[in-house]
Parts: sequence; C-alpha cells; structure tokens
Amino acid sequence: MPEVARLPLPMPQARRTWSRALRLPPGGIAGYVLAAIIALLVLPPLFVLVRTSLTEVTAGMGQGAFTLQNYVLLVTSRNLGTMVFNSVAFAACATIVSLLFGGLLAWLVERTDVPLKGLAYLTTIISLGTPYILYVSAWLFLFGRAGPFNDLYRMYVDPSVTLINVNSLGGMIAIEGFLWSPLVFLMLSSAFRAANAEMEEAARVAGASILETVWKVSLRLAMPAILALALFVFIRNLEAFEVPALVGMPGRVDVLTTEIYRSVKSMPPQLGYASAFSVVMLALVAVLLFFYGRLSKRAERFASITGKGYRPRPFRLGRARIPAACIIVFNFVVVLGLPLAAVVWMALMPFVRPMRWAALPFASLKNFTSVVSSPYYFGLGVNTLLVAAGTATAAMLLTVGGGWIAARRRAGGTLIDQLVTMPLVFPGLVLGVALLEIALQLPIPIYGTLWLIGLAFLIRYMPYGMRYTYTGVLQIHPELEQAAGVAGATTFETLRRIVGPLLWPAIASGWLFIFLIAAKEMSLPLLLAGPNSQTVAVAMFDLWSNGQGGEVSALGLLWAALMTIFASALYVILRRQSAATFGD
Amino acid sequence: MMTMSDRMKQLMRGRRAALAELVVAGTLAVTQPAWALDPKLVDSARKEGEVTWYTTLVVGQIVRPMIAAFEAKYPGIKVNYVPAPWQETALRLSNEARAGSVKGDLFDGGITFYPLNQAGLVDRFMPDAAKDFPPEFKDPTGLWTANIIQIATPSINTDQVPGKDTPQSLEDLLDPRWAGKMAWTDSPSASGPPGFIGNVLMSMGTGKGMAFLERLAKQRIANIPAIQRVVLDQNISGQYPLVLCIYNYHAVISAAQGAPVKWLKLSPILTFGTFGLMKNSPHPNAARLFVEFNLSDEGQRIYAKAGYIPASPGVPATEADLKPDAGHYKARIMSPVEFQEHEAEWTLIYKRLFQ
Repeated sequence: MPEVARLPLPMPQARRTWSRALRLPPGGIAGYVLAAIIALLVLPPLFVLVRTSLTEVTAGMGQGAFTLQNYVLLVTSRNLGTMVFNSVAFAACATIVSLLFGGLLAWLVERTDVPLKGLAYLTTIISLGTPYILYVSAWLFLFGRAGPFNDLYRMYVDPSVTLINVNSLGGMIAIEGFLWSPLVFLMLSSAFRAANAEMEEAARVAGASILETVWKVSLRLAMPAILALALFVFIRNLEAFEVPALVGMPGRVDVLTTEIYRSVKSMPPQLGYASAFSVVMLALVAVLLFFYGRLSKRAERFASITGKGYRPRPFRLGRARIPAACIIVFNFVVVLGLPLAAVVWMALMPFVRPMRWAALPFASLKNFTSVVSSPYYFGLGVNTLLVAAGTATAAMLLTVGGGWIAARRRAGGTLIDQLVTMPLVFPGLVLGVALLEIALQLPIPIYGTLWLIGLAFLIRYMPYGMRYTYTGVLQIHPELEQAAGVAGATTFETLRRIVGPLLWPAIASGWLFIFLIAAKEMSLPLLLAGPNSQTVAVAMFDLWSNGQGGEVSALGLLWAALMTIFASALYVILRRQSAATFGD
Repeated sequence: MMTMSDRMKQLMRGRRAALAELVVAGTLAVTQPAWALDPKLVDSARKEGEVTWYTTLVVGQIVRPMIAAFEAKYPGIKVNYVPAPWQETALRLSNEARAGSVKGDLFDGGITFYPLNQAGLVDRFMPDAAKDFPPEFKDPTGLWTANIIQIATPSINTDQVPGKDTPQSLEDLLDPRWAGKMAWTDSPSASGPPGFIGNVLMSMGTGKGMAFLERLAKQRIANIPAIQRVVLDQNISGQYPLVLCIYNYHAVISAAQGAPVKWLKLSPILTFGTFGLMKNSPHPNAARLFVEFNLSDEGQRIYAKAGYIPASPGVPATEADLKPDAGHYKARIMSPVEFQEHEAEWTLIYKRLFQ
C-alpha cells in the first residue's frame, strides 16, 4: 500500500501499523513453522511405516526385497467379509457406547445441577489411571465363565448354563466402549463447560421439556465437537489390537486387526502386514478428515462462547435430579466399581480364584506389603512421573497452537490436522521400531534413555491433545479474536490473553488425559527402555509374565491411587484457574 | 530319540558323587569354583568393567538375585539388565546390530535365539561350566546353551475335574466333555502349540498324528493371546478346567500356595531357556564370565531357589519331581535345532486347524 506509506503518520499510529504488519496474516508463517515441527516428529516414523509395509521380512528380521505381498494379503485374507463386518460393527457400537456413556455424563456434570459431580470425576480419573491389562483382565474375570455373574446364575438358576459369554462381539464392544468413555467424558465436559446456557434457557422458557431442549439445543450446539470426537474414537476402535486380541481371540471372533496381531506376534515378527493395514487406515483417515473439514467449515455457527455477556449457568433438573444422580452412580459402578472390586479381590488373594465367601479367609495384604517394601519401585515411579508429565506438557504446548490453527482453518491448518492425526493409526510396535532405528542413528545419545520414551509418547499422544484443543477452539466464537485484533493485539497476544484462558478447561483435560494414559502405557517402554530408564509399566509386565497377578494388582492399585492424588490436586488447581475465567 | 529320563540317569550316576562333595564342602564352593575357569577370562572381564544383559527372565525372582550373587563374587564388574519379552528383545538387538551399535552383550529366553541366529547375529561360545550338560542341552558349535529347562504339559483345575475324569492319554483329550473347555497359549514356540503338534506327529507318526489333530481341532481349544503363565492362571481361576502347554514348575509354585491345580504327566515336552552372546558386543569377556557363572552349580542353585528347573544335571529342582528323572516320567526333548527345522510346517498346521 504505497499511499499509506507516504502519509505522515504520528508515532502511535505508526507503531500500530508495525504491530499489524507483525500480526501474522491469515496465511501466517506460524502455521507452517508448527507444521514443520510436527512433520519432523511424525514423518520419520511414517517413512519407516510405509517402507516396512513394502518390504519382505527376511528370516533374520532384516529388510528384504520390495513387495506388495502385504497389501495383497490384506484383501485376500480368509473370511474377509466377516472380518470387515465384525470390525465395523465393533468399532461403531463401541463408539456409541463411549459417546452415550461419556457424553451423557459430561452434560449432566457440566450443564446441570446434578448431585455427585465429584464422583463422576473420580470415576474418570481412577479408571484412566488404572493400568490397561488390569482393567481388561478385571472385565474378563468378572464376566468370564468362572466370574461372579455366571457363578450366581449357575448357583441360583441353572447350573448347566453359562449365561454370559464375554469372549464375544458383545463383550468386546462393552469393554472397548467402557474403556474409552472416560476420554469422551473429559473431552465433552470441557466442551459443555464452555457452552452458553442462554439458548437452553430460552428453549425452556419457550416451553420445551428437558429432553427436547437437550435434543434440539444442547446436542446440536455440541454437534461439531461430538462428530469430531465420534470420528476419532471410531478410528481408534477400528485399529485397536488389544481388546480384539485379549477378548475376541479366545472366542474366535476375528476382526481385521486379529490377523495383524497374530502376524506381529509370530516368529520372526511380521511387521509388514500390520504396516500395510496402517497405511490403508491412514488413507481412510485422510478421507474422513477431509469430509469432516468441510463440515466444520461452518463451525462458528455452533460456537457458544461469544462476545456477549457470557456466563454459563447450570441447567435446573428439578425432579429429574434423582434419576440423573442414578446415571452417575451407574457409571461409577460399571466403569469403575466392578472392575476395581475385581482388581482388589485379585490383589488380596494369593492366586486368582473365584469370588466366593469361602475364599475370604485366604485374603491378605501380603501383595501390598511386598510392593511397598521394595525400593526398586520408587525409582521406576519417579521415571514414570517425569516422562508422563513431560510428554503431557510438550504435547499440549504443540497442540494448543495446532488445534487453534486447524479449527480456525488458517494456512497450514489442514496440514497440521492431517499430520497430528497420523500417529493415531501407527501400530505401537511399528512406532517403537521406527524410533529404535532413528535413535540409533542420531548423533545425540538418546537411545535407551527416558528422552526416547518421551519422544515416542509425544508422537503417540499428540493426536489426543489435538482433539481436546481443537474441540475447545470450536466453542469459541472467532468474534472474540477479531475484537482483539481490532484492538491491536498481535496473534500471539490474542492467543495468550483471549484464546488461552478460554481454552483452559480443554488444555487441562487434555494434559490430564495424556499424563494418565502415558503413565500406564506398556508397549513402548518395553521396547525402548534402557537399563536406567525403566518405568512402572515395565515392572508391571514383568510381574504379569511371572503370574504374580496378585502383586500386579496391588502395584496397579497403589499406582492408580497415586495417580488419582496427583491428578485430583492438579485438577483442583486448574479448575480454579478456569473458574476465574468462566465463573464456578 | 533318547528321552530325558534315560539321558539324565546315565549322567546322574557320575554326578552324584561330585554333588555330595559339594554339599559337604558347603561354603567352599563360593570361594573355589567347582569348574575350571580360565583366570584370563576374569581379568579381561574386569577390564571391561560391565556387561549388559537383555533378559526375558523375571526381575524380582531371578534377575536381581543372580546379579547380586555375580557382583559379590566378581566385584568391579557391574551387570546392567534390560527386561523385556522375547520379541522386544530380538527386535531391539537386531536393530542395534543393523545400526552397527550393539549395546546388549548377551540375551536369554526360549525363542529369542531363533530369529537372532537366522540373522547371523549370535556369537559362538562353549562355556566350561556346561561341559557336563547332556549334549541335547547345548549347541555343538556353541551358539546356545540351556540355563533352564521348561516342561510343557497339560494341567487341570482340581476343583472342577474329579480324579476319575483326569485325562490319562492324548486320546482322552478328544472326550466330548472337554469341547470348548480347553485353552492354550498362542506362543509360536516349542513349548506352545507348534511344539505340541510336533510332539503328536513325531510320537504317533504323520498319518495317525494328523487324524488326531484334526479331531482335536473340533474341540475348539481357546487360543489365549498370552504366555503360558497367564493361561495357567485362567486354569486356576476356573475359566478353563483343562489347559495344555503350561510349564509344570509354575503349577507347582501355585499349588504350594493352595491353588487347585495339578500338572499332568501327559506327553510332556522338554524345552529350554537358553543363553546366547551377541557378535560385536562391547563387553564380550564379561558376558562370557556371566554365562559361566549362570551355568555353574552356584548359579544353577539360584535358579532352583527361584522356582525354575536348572539345566545342570548336577543341580536338582527345589521340587525334585519336576525333573523327568526324579519325577519318573518321560519327556520328549525338543531341541532348538529340531524345532527350527520343523517350525514352519507345525505353525502352518496350527494356523490351519486351530485358529
């Protein structure tokens, strides 16, 4: 603009022009810088993934010749039709279970005056802090042939019938669904927390019932957030290995990932087939994200944090408070109470045995005392906390910027979204092997250190952080940022002083989620830890493989208790922070 | 094929006198090695100062006691350990070797050896301490030496299976009462389904063996995606009244705590946990010294104390019945060489019939 340059401007205005020039334009560099950083993290493992999918595995685990065989195997596997059907049914139904459970709970806790809100948070935190193998084996134990439910049925109804078969598609759906409902709860609670109650109240004033209001207003407002989340959970379920293997395989319910699990576990490990599947999943995810992007283009229609007098108020349930409280209790019982009871039972017993009164005299605290009296676990605990907290912090720092750029559809936004989401479909073992390779070739000696585990965690959990911040930003109407811009704020200032504080609930939830899930992650540390960088998860696996199920349970419970204390303290601090912004 | 029982009897005759002497000598054994150890090896190991052991063994139970005893005996040589399952261990070592930067000096495990050997990464070493081991317990060219033996065999839940229903032979597994009630690990090892299938084919002959396996497959054995120990736990908890391919010493440890479980002497297979050394490792001498120590009577007794079955014919298991000779049963020895030769064929049968 040459005319502007020629005008003799007074100093303050000149400064403002400078600051405007400094303010990153819509096609700002920041997006590309961030995309470059994320690309540096994601692309090397992606390269290894694609290469692995295209090479033969030689007998000695070396890289063989180029092959398309892994892809051919994907489409020619036996019972492909059944497996595809099972996979889609499993992923879709488990997503619905998680969304119904987690979503309903989040809405009740954040938008209504339901009692027992603390219980809902406690349920979430403890269940996220409980190690995965304990959680799944608790379910298998509870609903297994020798579990208390089948036991009771045989005792009082029909001794020859096993009522529940947990090793079935239904069992898989229920377990996977419960496993991820805390994620949905945390994610949607931050979204609902930032929702404007005015529209709900307007609907109520206009005579709508609670259900009508929820259906026509609350749900519609949160729709982009819910859809993004549903898509995310669906993808995660589709590529899940663990529940299909642990729950489905003994019952011969095969999904697409079952065969992959088998190929990875064979000798020598066949990583090519798993990688080929992930590459196909990556393509699928890219397509889904593309369509999702088109949908969320109009996302600001749904934004509820606007520039108008903003103050969310809880929705009065009236007489519905009691049934609503029952939902919270039900969630507590199903998601936490039952599995926890099973874990406590296993921790108290010298060996795994059915839940019967007759077994009670055998209960002892021996497993707990042997954990507490071993100094070995202390060092591992410190390592684990360090790496989990470091990962959560780094991931949230990256994804706050990333989530904002993507949600605002700034230059580089789509690219960032695609890049960050990629690790979601990396099989853990392939990601681990890629990092082994990279670390062995880096000039910096991070091989076998906590840094390498942290790096692996960061890549693996970035997608989760991104979902939290992305969903959070969608709730904030761009008019607030535009106002800041008009008032002369740079992009950085706007982010720091406007978006950041409004995004606190999402950032806090995301940090907490990554912290808890990284602290219990098992597969990556098993492959990457060196002599001095072992974590609690490695010790847990060690005990597990020795059949010290009782001691694993005791260690897991103590660990979950510690995580709960940490997480609760943190959450209280963060809620105070956000209370300053949103009101309590 | 000579069975374990015959072989051991033969060896034990000679060893018993030596063992009696050792027991009498008591603490002497700590200061005076019972086997001829090259003093130069100790010196070279001391110069290296440390060794890194990639282990599939259980840390609390055996790894740390073993390291404590070794470090007490050879002060100045530190043992680092990295615990992980066989697959992670093999992947990690092969990646290190490919990058030209081997960090692990030695490894152990029942399966770890196979892929690493196929990749040509395993160094040869014939430990002095194993010179009296049966020839089936070590590779003639020194690629591997057994540190423990593992007897893979079925077990029953004694609360659920009355004595009269206990299977006595492989044929009894075909009884309709076991349909849908049996489980085994999905481990691709000699002590997992492939080894079981191999044992059936070798003892019954191919034709009869295949006919048996096809009928057994109709019983729908549940494939548990976990190691043998976890399968045994599901046997104890009552999820499956009868399980195949578990390790007998695990059953004995649990039964001693009151668990309703009993292992069956029903076509048992004798497999090995083995030690191997990595080529181009940073501390080859310390690694050799560590292997020597593990296989010496002193080291083998630490295994026995931890509940494992020592490979050394001179060291009995804590529960003597666990070993074929003392327990008066026959077990088919499935050596790594034999398994490697047939592994592909047996795994294929497993996949086709049982998955």
